[in-house]
Amino acid sequence: MLDYAEPVTKLIDELKRLPGIGHKSAQRLAFHLLRADRAETARLIEAITEVKERIILCSTCNNITDVDPCRYCTSPGRDQGIILVVEEPFNIVAFEKTREYKGLYHVLHGALSPIRGIGPDDLKIKNLLERLRAGEVREIILATNPNTEGEATANYLSKLMRPLGPRITRIAMGIPVGSDLEYADEVTMHKALANRHEM
Amino acid sequence: MQLTRIEAYGFRNLEGFVETSAGLNIFYGDNAQGKTNWLEAIYVLGSSKSFRTNQVRDCLNFNTHEARIRGEVLRGTLRKQLQLFLNDTTKQLFINGKREAVTRYLGNLDVFVFSLEEMDVIRGDPTSRRRFLDRGVATLMPSFIGTLAKYNHLLKQKNRLLAEASQSKAPETFYPQVEVWNDQLVEAGTVIHKARVRYIERLNQTLDENDHGRAIFGAERINLRYKSHLEGKGDLDQYRQLFRERLEVRLAAEVASGHALLGPHRDDLEILADGREVARFGSAGQQRSALILLDLAQVSIYNFTYEESPVLLIDDIDAELDRGRIEALLVVLEGNAQTFISTSRRSIANRYRDRAAVYWVEQGQAVNEPSSVSRLASQDPENSADELARAVRERVDQEESEDLGMQAE
Ligand SMILES: [Zn+2]
Repeated sequence: MLDYAEPVTKLIDELKRLPGIGHKSAQRLAFHLLRADRAETARLIEAITEVKERIILCSTCNNITDVDPCRYCTSPGRDQGIILVVEEPFNIVAFEKTREYKGLYHVLHGALSPIRGIGPDDLKIKNLLERLRAGEVREIILATNPNTEGEATANYLSKLMRPLGPRITRIAMGIPVGSDLEYADEVTMHKALANRHEM
Repeated sequence: MQLTRIEAYGFRNLEGFVETSAGLNIFYGDNAQGKTNWLEAIYVLGSSKSFRTNQVRDCLNFNTHEARIRGEVLRGTLRKQLQLFLNDTTKQLFINGKREAVTRYLGNLDVFVFSLEEMDVIRGDPTSRRRFLDRGVATLMPSFIGTLAKYNHLLKQKNRLLAEASQSKAPETFYPQVEVWNDQLVEAGTVIHKARVRYIERLNQTLDENDHGRAIFGAERINLRYKSHLEGKGDLDQYRQLFRERLEVRLAAEVASGHALLGPHRDDLEILADGREVARFGSAGQQRSALILLDLAQVSIYNFTYEESPVLLIDDIDAELDRGRIEALLVVLEGNAQTFISTSRRSIANRYRDRAAVYWVEQGQAVNEPSSVSRLASQDPENSADELARAVRERVDQEESEDLGMQAE
């Protein structure tokens, strides 16, 4: 026999599919929804439906958007000559928060990782090359994550794009704020030292 | 660095506490009573890992499923309480009762262990020798653990890619991808190569300087040689460049074979006595002595670097070491470092009773035994001086006959 009536079990099972949700959390969420009034659950259902119906990927930069091309790609105030390449759409938010960057973006939707079965064909590289061939791009900033996969992806892209002519740069990497210098690995330390700046 | 007290519950068969001495501490008892477990508990308290098993969880008592080890460490005038709690799912570390992250916890009690398991360094495959080397490097350079982890991760990625490429109908389309993993492997691999070579230079220097080495080992001179897989392929002093070149040359071969053929994960270490490999030409006694000399060299590099002694554990001291070598070893350690040894031989406990704290271990409990003479006296206060002298004489005779038995083995 099931622990709960079938609809409840089904809800728990679906919630458990979400990242970071274990059985206990799923159970707690399910009972919360069960007790919530109809208006609240309706709002949630609508939000989920809307996100699935209206959110698409920008055909230019692959960012998530409700208009195509997205607002970054069509903004007249942004420098069309610079593209900053990131792994995930939420990485854009981090750069936007700085209010320093005024160029365009390109989202790869992942990074190379043979262990996870992700190769170049699984990343959104093709339309990046198309953007380069269009000829207006002066600089590509590779802002993939500072881990081994992000680094491999940046190296791969840089070799691929070099013949196409733009300046290619990699964001500076070093020691994350708040971490112990003593335990940073030496390769990271070398990089942090090599990328030091005048004060 | 000195451990003044160790307490253990639910760790293997241990139960209770021991107030330890600043010098030599001897745990002796019959087999399977727990003498090595006490040494292991000290090691686990310091490093949060075991030297006998890869999974520290294996040390949990079958009945309690929960272990607690507590100890007090004295450095100069500074006292710290360390505590490790272990159950089937978690490992928690505490300093002075406050929970701490492992990176902050490690380094409060540095423990070096000389054990028979270590004989793999001489007799086992290159993995054991690389591990010995890497552990030594890491004591001087904590960041080395991170570099190794990164290298191994890169290697795993590359191997997976190579496996896929070797099955492909167009393997050459994978070359650009393999190259980007190689780029990073060259960086991490160069750090590893250089750190190991530098460490071996220091070990050799220390081995040359140590006079006591000869006393323990005999006349021969022990030294080490790092055997890079790139030996004979070019200038090893320009390792980064050489490694990169070789990876380029061997790219097709690596793709065809489906796994990484090059890198410091294929290196080895030669342990030589007067230029001959100890693993091939040394007796069991010479092999253990050579290993102990290496251990001692690691300890003296540690002492030099930190101006402080780690705590030393010598498990099963009599295994493959004769009386003379044990004596020479303990003379070296005496007054230098706090040392814990385990033995099943009563004669060893008795011989050092006046110079050491001796604990008799039975069913996981360690009981401090007073030194031989005072114990004889206290057992029978009516003993006359003559009787006491006779009792001591008998004990010495008994010891000598035990030792004769030992030498005959
Ligand atoms: Zn866009």
